[in-house]
Amino acid sequence: MIKTQLHPDQYLIEGLANNDSAVIHSIYKKYVPKVVSYIRNNSGDEDQAQDVVQEIMILLFNQAKAGKLQLTCPFDAYFFLLCKRKWLNELKKSSNKGVTISDDFTSVNEPTEEMVAQTELFEEKQQLFDAMFQRLGEKCQEVLKWSFTLKSMEEVAQKLNVSYAYVRKKKSLCTGQLTQWIQEHSSFKTLKKQEP
Amino acid sequence: MKEEIYLLFDQYLQGELSEKDRLDFEKQLSENAELKSEFETFKEVQLQLETKFDFAVDRETFETNLKNISRDYFKPKKAKLISMKPYVYMAAATVILLLGLFLFHPSEPKFEDYNQFENAYLTERGEGLELVKEAENAFNAKDYKRAIPLFEAVLKEKQSAEIQYFYGISLLENNRIKQAEAEFNQIKSGNSVYKNKAIYALALAKLKQKDYKSCKEILLEIPSDYEHYDKVQELLDKLD
Repeated sequence: MIKTQLHPDQYLIEGLANNDSAVIHSIYKKYVPKVVSYIRNNSGDEDQAQDVVQEIMILLFNQAKAGKLQLTCPFDAYFFLLCKRKWLNELKKSSNKGVTISDDFTSVNEPTEEMVAQTELFEEKQQLFDAMFQRLGEKCQEVLKWSFTLKSMEEVAQKLNVSYAYVRKKKSLCTGQLTQWIQEHSSFKTLKKQEP
Repeated sequence: MKEEIYLLFDQYLQGELSEKDRLDFEKQLSENAELKSEFETFKEVQLQLETKFDFAVDRETFETNLKNISRDYFKPKKAKLISMKPYVYMAAATVILLLGLFLFHPSEPKFEDYNQFENAYLTERGEGLELVKEAENAFNAKDYKRAIPLFEAVLKEKQSAEIQYFYGISLLENNRIKQAEAEFNQIKSGNSVYKNKAIYALALAKLKQKDYKSCKEILLEIPSDYEHYDKVQELLDKLD
C-alpha cells in the first residue's frame, strides 16, 4: 500500500474514538443531512436513515479503537459512501430483486474508494470473528472474556476460582481454537486476499 | 500437535520463552510459511479479542451517547402501527373529534408547550474550556439549576451573547424570571445573532407569567425573517 498522508479530518475519527460529544454533534449537523436525504430519496425513511447512520458511526468507533482507521480522504465523501452502500445493501437484503451496487464506486476518487473498502473489510472480519466466537464453548468464552478484560491472569484465575496454570492454558487453547476456525473459514481466505 | 503450537504462540507473545526457544521459534517462523500464516491469524484473533472486551465499556458509553445525540436530529421513531382499513380510521377520527369537542375547550397556550429550547453547543474541539463544557452539558441535560452557577462563572471570564442567552434560558426555567428578562433585554439591545432568539425568549417569559397581552406585543417585534418564525406565528395564532 502506498503510504498516503493523513487527512486533516482525522480529528473527527479521533473524536468518535474518544466519545467526544461535540464531534458527534458536528457530524450530525454537517454530514448526516446529506445521508438522510439520500436514503429518503431511495425508498427509505428517517427511521431507517437514523439506523444506518448509527451503525456506521459505531463501525467507525470500533475501527478507530482498534487503531486501524487512518483517514486519507475527506470525511464527507467517505462517510457518505459508507452510509450509502450500507443502505443499498439493506435494500438488497429486503427485496427479491437485486439492487446492483457494483457501479457505486465510479463517481468517487480513489483514496475514498480505498478507505471505504478498508472499513468494509474491517466490518466483515469483525462479523466473522463474532460468529466464530459464538461457536466456542461457554467456558472458553468466559476465560477469554475475563483474560481480555482484567489486568492480569492471576485476577482471572481468582475470578473464575481456578488455578493460574489452568486459565493460562485455557486462554492459549481457546485463542488457538478461534485461530483455527477462522483460518479454515472460506470467507476469511477471501478477505485475506483483499487486504492491501 | 496443534495445541502445543498455540501454547507456544502465546508464550512467545507474552515474552515467556527462553532466549534459545525464542530464536528457535523465530527460525521456524521464517522457514515455515504455514506456521507463519497461522501465527499472524493468532495475533489478529488476539487483537479482535482485545477490541471486543477491552473497549466493551467504552463502546457501551459511546453507543448510549450516540443514541442520545441522534435524538436531537431526528424526529422520534414512529411506533409500528398495525395497519387499519380506511373506514376504521375514519370511525376512529370521528370518535376522537367528538370526544375532543366535548372534553376540551379551547384554552390559552402554555409556556410548557413552547419551552423546547435548542441544545447549546458552546465548545469547539480542543479549546479545553472545561467550565463551558460542563455548563453546556448541564444545560443540554436540562439540569438548569446546576447550569446557572456554571454559566455565571463563564460569563465572569468572558461576556458573550451566546452564553448569556443560554444563561437566561436557565434562569427562566428556574423561575428567576426577572433576572432572565434582564439578560434577554440586554441581548435584545445588542446586535448579535441571538437578538431575535432573546426577544422570543422574552415573549416566553411573559407567557410563563400568563401575561398574554405583553407576550403578544413582544412577539410582534420579531421580524418575519427570524429562523423560527413558524413558532412565533403559531403562538400568535393561539393568542388571538
